[in-house]
Amino acid sequence: MANSADRYDRRTFISRGATTAAGLAMAGVGAPALLSACGGSSNPGSSTATTRAGTPGVSTATPVRGGSVTIGVSSEIDGFLPASSHFDATGLTYANAVFDTLTAIAADASVRPHLAASVMPNADLTVWTVTLRPNVVFHDGSPLTADVVLQNFKAIKASALTGQAVTPISSVTTSGDLTVIYNCDEPLVAFPAYLATQVGYVIALSQLDNTNSGSQNPVGTGPFKIVSWEPNDHFTVERNPDYWNKGLPYLDTVTFKPIVSDQSRELSLRSGTIDLMVSHDPGIIADLRTDPGFQQVNDLTQTAGQPDMDFICLNTTIEPTSDLMVRQALAYATDVEQVVKLFSRGVVTPNTSLFPEGSIYRAADNGYPQYNLARAKQLVAQAAPNHGGSLTIPLVDITDPRQAEIIQALGSMWQAAGFKVNLNQIEQVTYISDLVEGKFTAAADEQFSSPDPDLNYVWLSSTTASGPIALNFARNKDPLIEAALQKGRTSADKSARIEAYQTVDKRLSVDLPYLWFSRAPWSITGNTTVQNFANPILPDGTKGLGFAGGVFRPAQIWMKA
Amino acid sequence: MSRYIGARVVQLVFIIFFISIVAFLLVHLLPGDPTISILGPNDTAQARVELLKQLGLNKSLPLQYWTWISNVFHGNLGISFLTHQTVSNAIGVAFPIDLELIIVSQILAFIVSIPLALIAALRPNRIFDRIATTSTYAMLAVPTFVVAVILVLLVAVKIHIFPATGFNPIGQGLGSNLKSVLLPSISLAVGSVAIYYRLLRADMIATLQEDFITMARAKGLSTPYILLRHALRPSSFALLAGAGLSIGSLFTGAFVVEILFQLPGIGFQLIQAINSRDYLVVQGMALVAAVAYVVINFGVDVLFTFLDPRVRRG
Repeated sequence: MANSADRYDRRTFISRGATTAAGLAMAGVGAPALLSACGGSSNPGSSTATTRAGTPGVSTATPVRGGSVTIGVSSEIDGFLPASSHFDATGLTYANAVFDTLTAIAADASVRPHLAASVMPNADLTVWTVTLRPNVVFHDGSPLTADVVLQNFKAIKASALTGQAVTPISSVTTSGDLTVIYNCDEPLVAFPAYLATQVGYVIALSQLDNTNSGSQNPVGTGPFKIVSWEPNDHFTVERNPDYWNKGLPYLDTVTFKPIVSDQSRELSLRSGTIDLMVSHDPGIIADLRTDPGFQQVNDLTQTAGQPDMDFICLNTTIEPTSDLMVRQALAYATDVEQVVKLFSRGVVTPNTSLFPEGSIYRAADNGYPQYNLARAKQLVAQAAPNHGGSLTIPLVDITDPRQAEIIQALGSMWQAAGFKVNLNQIEQVTYISDLVEGKFTAAADEQFSSPDPDLNYVWLSSTTASGPIALNFARNKDPLIEAALQKGRTSADKSARIEAYQTVDKRLSVDLPYLWFSRAPWSITGNTTVQNFANPILPDGTKGLGFAGGVFRPAQIWMKA
Repeated sequence: MSRYIGARVVQLVFIIFFISIVAFLLVHLLPGDPTISILGPNDTAQARVELLKQLGLNKSLPLQYWTWISNVFHGNLGISFLTHQTVSNAIGVAFPIDLELIIVSQILAFIVSIPLALIAALRPNRIFDRIATTSTYAMLAVPTFVVAVILVLLVAVKIHIFPATGFNPIGQGLGSNLKSVLLPSISLAVGSVAIYYRLLRADMIATLQEDFITMARAKGLSTPYILLRHALRPSSFALLAGAGLSIGSLFTGAFVVEILFQLPGIGFQLIQAINSRDYLVVQGMALVAAVAYVVINFGVDVLFTFLDPRVRRG
């Protein structure tokens, strides 16, 4: 259901671009294990792929050092400042090349230290002490210190873009050279997961203080150093010989090439112009996953964290979708099986929940309405008199041929139930503006990618559902959801958190601000020469989250001789 | 002739000034504002107001235009709201790509279309002419993006001779540079070949019926000599005018090919900037494209004065 032909893919823009909190940033390093604040997963989050011999993207052979790889990514970014740049899937992958996050997500969904040597809470989880790894230097030779992390946090907190993502963290202080203390207003059980996202990247002061060209010249502690960045053409990095995780990276250089058209990216891979490509297009994923000339890894069974979901967002504050009966009618009128069957090329399956199949947070039976045209017609007949005799639903999406087909199919289904449907495709900037300002009735959307459900708080909370600009786009206010979100945020008891988010899932099926379709698929496909592109091993020996949401780490990739 | 050129230069300055106003106004009349792109949906009303102030977008349109155009006259096209790259730098990357694409594609187009048109005009409505005319009809009918995809599938994917996407600057070697621009150039040349062939063929047929051509034949001059030395020049006015329009429009009109081949030329970057309301980039790119268009057509006009004395007299 997704396509990434825009500069900022509309969906990734919304799901990650702004919050930062939602972006999965996969770590590659660790030390003594810290608490597993993120909760577990009933299905360890290893990416799966085609069924050829061996596991695609994973190599146990002795790595070959040196060489170069060219990687086709789906968009271009607007800069390298974690506090002010929009890190979509491409941005997070670029960042993983030149920066490091303080923590990282493991394949089993636990949170591990990365630049941090440890992350420890006080008894009530309101104060978190981060001890930094010693003897780490930035690309400019300056040392990683507690003060640098503090300055980074101040920039994050002050930024209009990222400030809201760290709202629960009220202040930060330092103690000595390597200790940073984060004070939270309330218990923040998912705190370590926050440090695995965009707000957890640490950049050098020379970049942070460079107001002229800092956003174009990343200076991090990451495995690679920038060689050149030509927006819309390439981003080339070279091996950082002083990388603190000794032995890494394997490659001499990596060149990322933003190729916005999925088809062009596929042709580039097939022609040998690039070695590895990311895709968000079910058609491309389907084409490449059965091709024996390539190895593909996708995130379709990934349950470490939370993937993006495809859905229709309904505005609960304007006519006629402010009427629950209308939203129910729309849900009953939507044949999810049919929509997914028509447009996903068999890559994804229907998923009528906030959480994917296999997630511990998914309610066994969330009560989401199943397709029932007769029931939909009945509800339309009941509701129509309250809305002037007929129900008109303006359904909006971004301009994209593929999306046009999807909303046309939806429009037909809703019309069959008795709705009048006005389909409208608009430009991305206007689309986002309308969503934020509540100037829509129904909008095709993709959201909720996050390493921990708490990081989706801003999108779901009643506290962000009012005003001229609201991050809870549907503007759904439900005290039970709010209470459950608070419980999920503050409770250290794993089973209590699971119960809280299952409550959220169930309540969303009652309120119906979202009409679910499926999880959004991502894949990474390489030729047979590229090795180990989805197999980051953390320094403590645990397996890192290999590939999720279009994001990966290039440090442990190597090329077969 | 200098008076003619002087008058055209004055005209050109007014045209560019007018275009700068239109480009500026059109961009600012678009719905949505750049704060959405910069701040994302996570912004606040206060942050938006602050940002608009920082970007100077809280001022009146005339004042904004004056600030921008004054800076342009000082060689400062501004800084991208999004990438913080200077617009001049972005143009410095994009312009050579377009320039090379246009040069290579037009050389290819002339190499193919001129001989075809000359041969076809020699014997109109005979077998060669019919085949060539039908083929160029087909070339006109096939969209550029279809040609591009077919070329990529055949030459890049099947036999791996050329890269499917990307641009290699000349600095990386002439061979690799030409390899990276050849497929997009052929895609662009196909449409031009058809147009140039048809324009030149029609004029050439008319020229070949002129008395001076009959005289040349009577003097026993060879056909190639007559075609190239006597007939080509007076037949090339429409071709030149067509080439001027075509080349000028390629500065922005090549964006489909640029997107397919991932060449960050002016058209490609312009579309990206429009989508994200990166005003200064849009204005800068539009201005450069417009100037290029006008200058090229000015060049064509000047060329006319050399080719046809009636133009400079009249």
